[in-house]
Amino acid sequence: MKKNLRWRILLVLAVVALSVYLAYPPSKIPLGLDLSGGMHLVLQVVTDDALNAETDNEILRLQEQLKKENISYERISKSQERMGRFTIQNFDTEREGALRDLLDEFYKEWDYSVAGNEITLDIKPNVAFYLRDQAVKQSEETLWNRVDELGLTEPTIQRQGGPGGNRIIVELPGIDNPERVKNILKTTALLEWKMVTGGPAPTEEALLEPYGGVVPEDMQVVKGDPKRTQGGYYLLSRVASVTGRDIRMARRSIDQWNSPAVSFTLDPDGSRRFAKTTTDHLGENLAIVLDGRVQSAPVIEDRITTGSGIIRGGYTIEEAEDLALVLRAGAMPADINYLEERTIGPSLGADSIRKGLFSIIMALILILVFMVFYYRMAGVNAVIALVFNVLILMGALAYFHASLTLPGIAGIILTIGMAVDANVLIFERIREELAQGKSVLSSIAAGFSRAFRTILDANVTTIIAAIFLFQFGTGPIRGFAVTLIIGITASMFTAVFVSRLIFDVSYSKRKKRDKLSI
Amino acid sequence: MQLFKNPNIKFMKYKYIALGLSAIVIIAGILNINFGKGLNPGIDFAGGTLVRIKFIEPIPVSDIRQALATADLGASKIQSVGHTQTEYMIRTMQAKGIEAKNQDIEAHEIMGNRVVEVLRTEKSKEALASGKIDLNSADEEALALLIAQDFPEEAEEAARKIIAFRVESGVIASFDQIGQKIGVRNDIVNKLKEKAFISRLAVLSRESVGPQVGFDLRRKATQATVWALLGMLIYIGIRFKLAYGVSAILTLAHDVLVTIGIFSFTNREVNLPVIAAILTIVGYSLNDTIVIFDRVRDNLKILRKSEFQDMLNSSLNQTLSRTIITSGTTLITVLALFLFGGEVINDFAFTMMIGVVVGTYSSIYQSCSILYFWKKIFKPKKGMGK
Repeated sequence: MKKNLRWRILLVLAVVALSVYLAYPPSKIPLGLDLSGGMHLVLQVVTDDALNAETDNEILRLQEQLKKENISYERISKSQERMGRFTIQNFDTEREGALRDLLDEFYKEWDYSVAGNEITLDIKPNVAFYLRDQAVKQSEETLWNRVDELGLTEPTIQRQGGPGGNRIIVELPGIDNPERVKNILKTTALLEWKMVTGGPAPTEEALLEPYGGVVPEDMQVVKGDPKRTQGGYYLLSRVASVTGRDIRMARRSIDQWNSPAVSFTLDPDGSRRFAKTTTDHLGENLAIVLDGRVQSAPVIEDRITTGSGIIRGGYTIEEAEDLALVLRAGAMPADINYLEERTIGPSLGADSIRKGLFSIIMALILILVFMVFYYRMAGVNAVIALVFNVLILMGALAYFHASLTLPGIAGIILTIGMAVDANVLIFERIREELAQGKSVLSSIAAGFSRAFRTILDANVTTIIAAIFLFQFGTGPIRGFAVTLIIGITASMFTAVFVSRLIFDVSYSKRKKRDKLSI
Repeated sequence: MQLFKNPNIKFMKYKYIALGLSAIVIIAGILNINFGKGLNPGIDFAGGTLVRIKFIEPIPVSDIRQALATADLGASKIQSVGHTQTEYMIRTMQAKGIEAKNQDIEAHEIMGNRVVEVLRTEKSKEALASGKIDLNSADEEALALLIAQDFPEEAEEAARKIIAFRVESGVIASFDQIGQKIGVRNDIVNKLKEKAFISRLAVLSRESVGPQVGFDLRRKATQATVWALLGMLIYIGIRFKLAYGVSAILTLAHDVLVTIGIFSFTNREVNLPVIAAILTIVGYSLNDTIVIFDRVRDNLKILRKSEFQDMLNSSLNQTLSRTIITSGTTLITVLALFLFGGEVINDFAFTMMIGVVVGTYSSIYQSCSILYFWKKIFKPKKGMGK
């Protein structure tokens, strides 16, 4: 008995010491966004974009090949109803065999069906899935790059819903300039250099007047960014000679008039194309287009062979800095929809911590008063077990690196209320046994053993609910589920094992064993 | 001390009254939700923007409402936080001229921006336009850069102190505060007076949620509740008997329905924490029920001869003080949270309070009645024990 008691004491002390070690100082417990302040974003990658882009590319490729093979057709049209489908209309049926051979050899990723003089191509489902998946992966990577460039601490970027999912959750704790961060994450940052053939004109009609009001096939109309240019409309070449993808380095600098600008260096391949463009079009205007808006359209004054240059657009220092940042981090492969955004200021978080801690302390005091009042010395026992419970809970949170959220604090408070439940069950049983005239020691033993099954059943069901809650929730709610699960599990140890130990210790040493303060 | 000395209350006698009472509350709740005032979905479910703002001085609600009305945001919900009239939560509703496009939250964000915009004073707008920075929204880096123009040595330290103060108190009220309370040197304060200004408000938090999120949430919340109930049915079915499992699940469903019903008569909004509270009640309320069933199971062995109904009664009486005490301790802690936990967690605490009370009532008055009816209807050959 004595020996048995000793190792039990050691075990309890070891567990508590370990918990205190893990959780001290309390700053080791990571705080959730709602307590530390920060930004929570849920975004959706428009994966249709990736599929559309691929379809467009394939149509272009096919057009070239049909030309080469001399297979005539009326036109190729992209389906408006279904993603990844296009139709070759009115092709030369005499050349059907050749066309089939061509498709079999070069368009393995497409299914095709012939109906009269029409061929419809559908992208294979597994290819479509792969393209969508890649778009999300690349977006995730780009977000990581941007967050890294921003130098934020402990960001989390997580894809939701496995390989088929198109949502990404971004959590950025402790930022104090949400607007800037948001703008940086949000821009698509697709930069293109395109030749100017017309404009700027005040209206689209005026711009297209020389062309009879129709946009020429290899050109497109692009608006000027109202913040950077006079606004208006530009007529640009459809194909970009150089894009942001070719950029190797970008940094904030100043132009010859000392205004903020962004200087860039292209990779070797990009440099070659840039040199060719600037040679071929010397004296013409080259537009710099960012996310479909013309930033500036300077005249090419010189052949640029060094592969470096400067982007001007009347930027402020911060704007230039941020543009350089997103250019370094790369463009998004697809459009991004923002589904949810929550920004919690640090002062609100600090306020929540203060109030949460106060509630915990008040709950503890109220329970203590009640338990001691109702169960006397046994109540003190329960409160000691309760304090141990909270310590173990803190230690476990620190160990699992589980963030403490405001609902998590609510979980701790609730655990305090529910953990004494086990003690109450045991104490009520002991009282019943005592009332039946059993001795103190056997009443204690019977009380613990008979109540244990009930405690187990009751706690398992609560944990089942908490597990589903964890599955269902994000961020803060998960914090609640986690504290509840840990707290209840710990309460089985403290209320049963620790409480029993305290009873055993206090009654093994006592001579007079006929009275129990309960 | 003892709450009940050998209680002998004939709980089962009131089974029809209790059943009727519960039915009335549940039906009233369902009617109210479907045809009456209905549940009041918060931004988590309905989408929208919630901006929390702190002013440097008390501003009456009517002023805020008026300001918002001038920007077509008259339908916004304004809720005062605390009693100082300095802190408000503003939830924007659909506004004219801003069309929500598909699932993106851009429209909501524009509305959020507009709220902050119209609540600024003309003076602030002028100051912003002239390139001054707002001490109630500037970040530490920008502030340090500004101070560093004249005081490169002290800039970082001063900026850090000012921001720390703002985090502590939520808002900077005046330049005097910076000098006196924060202890920033006078010449730096003078520099700030020249290059910065103090707007009358600080944005404490801003949340925008798109419609898609709410839709998903509704689906997930329902799924989680149903799966949790199913999980418990199985667990109790294994540990006890199917009859107990079914009875426990019906009791739980009762608790959820009554809690939502009562909630629908309040003005509170349903947000994520409320759903979390309801799921917690699903887990918690079962505690009491299981303790009682456990006793029923024991008593079936001991009190073989007595009537089933009497046996249920004595089980309820034997566990009564425990049921009341643990509900009491949980209620105490939830009450502490409700009173001291602050605005953000208040709905959660409120829902939990209803749930704890309803759960206790149903454990006593419903769970055993259902067992009784089960025995009467199905007449299990092997009896109710295991």
